[in-house]
Amino acid sequence: MLLQTKKLCKQFGGIYALKDIDFEIENGEVLGLVGENGAGKSTLIKILTGVYRLDSGEILWEGNPAEIHNPCQSRDLGINVIHQDRNLVPSFNGIENVFLGLPYEKKGGVAVDWKKMKQRVTAVMEELGIDIDLNIPAALLTPPQKTMLEIVRAMMTRSRLLILDEPTASLTDREAEMLFETIEGLKKKGTSILYVTHRMDEIFRLTDRITVFKNGQLVNTVQTADVNKEQIISMMTDNWVSEKMKTARQFGGSRLDVAHLSSRDGIIKDASFNARAGEILGIFGLGGSGRTELLECVYGHRSVAGGTVAIDHKPVGKASPANSLKQGVVLISEDRRGKALVGSLNVKQNIVLSTIDHYARFGVVDEKKEVSDARDQIDRLSIKTEGPKQPVLQLSGGNQQKVVFAKALLSEPKVLLCDEPTQAVDVKTRQEIHKLLRKRADDGNAVVFVSSDLKEMLEVADNVLIMAGGKTKELFANDGLTAEQVLACCYAD
Amino acid sequence: MDKNRKLADFMRAYGTIFAGIIIVIAFSILSFDAFFTFGNFINITRQISLLVVIALGATLVMSVEEFDLSVGAMASLGGVVAARMAVSGMPMLLCFVFPVAICFVIGLLNGWIVTKFRVLSFITTLAMSTILGGFTFWFTGGATIFENIPRSFTFIGTKSLFSLPLLSLIMIFLTVLFWFVMRHTSFGRKLYAIGGNETASQISGIPVTFHKNMAFALCAALAALTGVLMASRLGSAHPTGGDGLFLQAYAAAFLGRTVFKEGVPNIWGTFVGAAILGILANGLTIMQVPTFMQDLLTGCIIILAVVVQKIGRGDAK
Repeated sequence: MLLQTKKLCKQFGGIYALKDIDFEIENGEVLGLVGENGAGKSTLIKILTGVYRLDSGEILWEGNPAEIHNPCQSRDLGINVIHQDRNLVPSFNGIENVFLGLPYEKKGGVAVDWKKMKQRVTAVMEELGIDIDLNIPAALLTPPQKTMLEIVRAMMTRSRLLILDEPTASLTDREAEMLFETIEGLKKKGTSILYVTHRMDEIFRLTDRITVFKNGQLVNTVQTADVNKEQIISMMTDNWVSEKMKTARQFGGSRLDVAHLSSRDGIIKDASFNARAGEILGIFGLGGSGRTELLECVYGHRSVAGGTVAIDHKPVGKASPANSLKQGVVLISEDRRGKALVGSLNVKQNIVLSTIDHYARFGVVDEKKEVSDARDQIDRLSIKTEGPKQPVLQLSGGNQQKVVFAKALLSEPKVLLCDEPTQAVDVKTRQEIHKLLRKRADDGNAVVFVSSDLKEMLEVADNVLIMAGGKTKELFANDGLTAEQVLACCYAD
Repeated sequence: MDKNRKLADFMRAYGTIFAGIIIVIAFSILSFDAFFTFGNFINITRQISLLVVIALGATLVMSVEEFDLSVGAMASLGGVVAARMAVSGMPMLLCFVFPVAICFVIGLLNGWIVTKFRVLSFITTLAMSTILGGFTFWFTGGATIFENIPRSFTFIGTKSLFSLPLLSLIMIFLTVLFWFVMRHTSFGRKLYAIGGNETASQISGIPVTFHKNMAFALCAALAALTGVLMASRLGSAHPTGGDGLFLQAYAAAFLGRTVFKEGVPNIWGTFVGAAILGILANGLTIMQVPTFMQDLLTGCIIILAVVVQKIGRGDAK
């Protein structure tokens, strides 16, 4: 047994991210780790690599208790991690990148011995059967070459456990194939590999065993040969079934039409959907499927490469947030602190941020009207604040989110795009937000709702659209829909 | 504990003004006859008027979290262009307005490069400063313009109204104007929003590019006006005459960030910052302290003010 955890627990703000995890990885095996969004995979990786500290429990390394308090201790044990967003210095060449964090070879104790360093890197590359040009800066390498370079770096020291976190997220099939060969090579040399991915076919192709996480708990560990995809998916979810609709909802005409939308950065490849008056359209997808990016494209915040967006059957024209707002589209961003709130301003100033021109006559702001409208919103959404002039960051997370909603509602949107609107808010606020979305829809507007919480999705949405790999897939009516159905569609390759 | 907290809050909010008052009291005690007179206070307002005007512009650009390092060169350029025009007998109004308009356009260019190509404003305006410096030198042949400057040109820079220098009145007018703009207009609000969180402002529908460009343009225009007023006051224009104001302007604006609104560039703060710098220079000159000592003290005071503020906010490690 290489690594073992006993009763590992980690909480964030009173909520268990991991609970009583008894996790094992053998010497020289490839272990797949799967689970829904927020199941605790990333938290486990961060504990094993010393980014987070565990609250309670024990880590055993080759049978002996091990302390991992920082990334250095983790690396000294022989644990290396390769993230989906690669950790290379773009302007450094291969050798410099491989030696990041390693002591440089020196000539006479002073001058860097580049020749010797190159020899060491080349030796490791030959051993792994990897061939990369070491003389060009990392920025010029292809995505798989970057991953390979990181593997080389990991193998420069005696790497016993290599953690790969969604390594193929940005690779083409052929590029992924190269990576798989390298992984098989590493396994033959006795390195253990923890492979974390959403892609089922890779799990079945590469792994010896599979560990399944659900809601911060370890559900099961199985021999890959003994199970099939459907069994794994059913282990990952509680299989909630959405309630039958009490009354058949009547939807009006289409308010938002999106056709064959693609983004310039290539994350959104082909997305089409429409949202009707009175409808809450849910968009569900696994991490990295492009939900956030799709909403940003529709809203005009992310550069669009092709496709059309129309509001009430009229093309929106120029893709910019200012124009979208004018046409009646509002985005509630998932990144509250980064993209929704201006932290240096107070509650009132944030609430009127999108609509400030309505309060200005010849450029001069009517502050009385501003304050009274802000107070109205504060009352309507029952925002807990000392008053409109309180700095917005002093509010709790849930109330900050209500401020974001207040700002959005003041512009009277016809189409409300909500990206993870209940993320990191308390239970009460969460329900209030759900009610608010329903009210918005009932008033004849369209609501597009993104959440990575499948249970919430089945509670809130009228229809659920699946996204995977930057494309919109199937559209389900949320009428007796099951979590398994949804996940099966997400995992279908 | 609670007492310490209160003291910290007090120092954070009013520490800089407090320091300013202490400086005034100190000079009054040390040199009552010369310093603490009505005449000298009037004199100080004239001395700081140019600094305040240029620092207002710097404050605008700082409020959108950018920098304009070309304000000194803009002032120099504005001064020599105005002086040259005055010498050649152009109408006075044109002599004052034309250089300001030119620099407004150059400021737009600064803004365009920064927003369109996402070049750091530090680099853009440093390069612009060098370009303008070179141009000004070519334009003047490196010589000071002082011959045949009409008296009408020096009127604004030297005359007073009800014993208040016109320069001081202009300073007060512009300070109040820009305070109003930043505090009470949607334009000013949007500048602060952009400075607070550019992405959130963009997503909230604020035209970030336009507002940043305007901040750069207004900053440049105010810098040029400073140069013109300086030429009017001195009755001459030197090709590097405004360069020295650049560092002082940012010193005033940074001192200003420590006043009233914590950490946010603000108009009255900048005014107080410039006043403190001006009072310091005035008092030390009266006490016949050599210039190098003045620089030394000014630098120390700025560092002290910023450090005290950081400690007050609990940012310090």
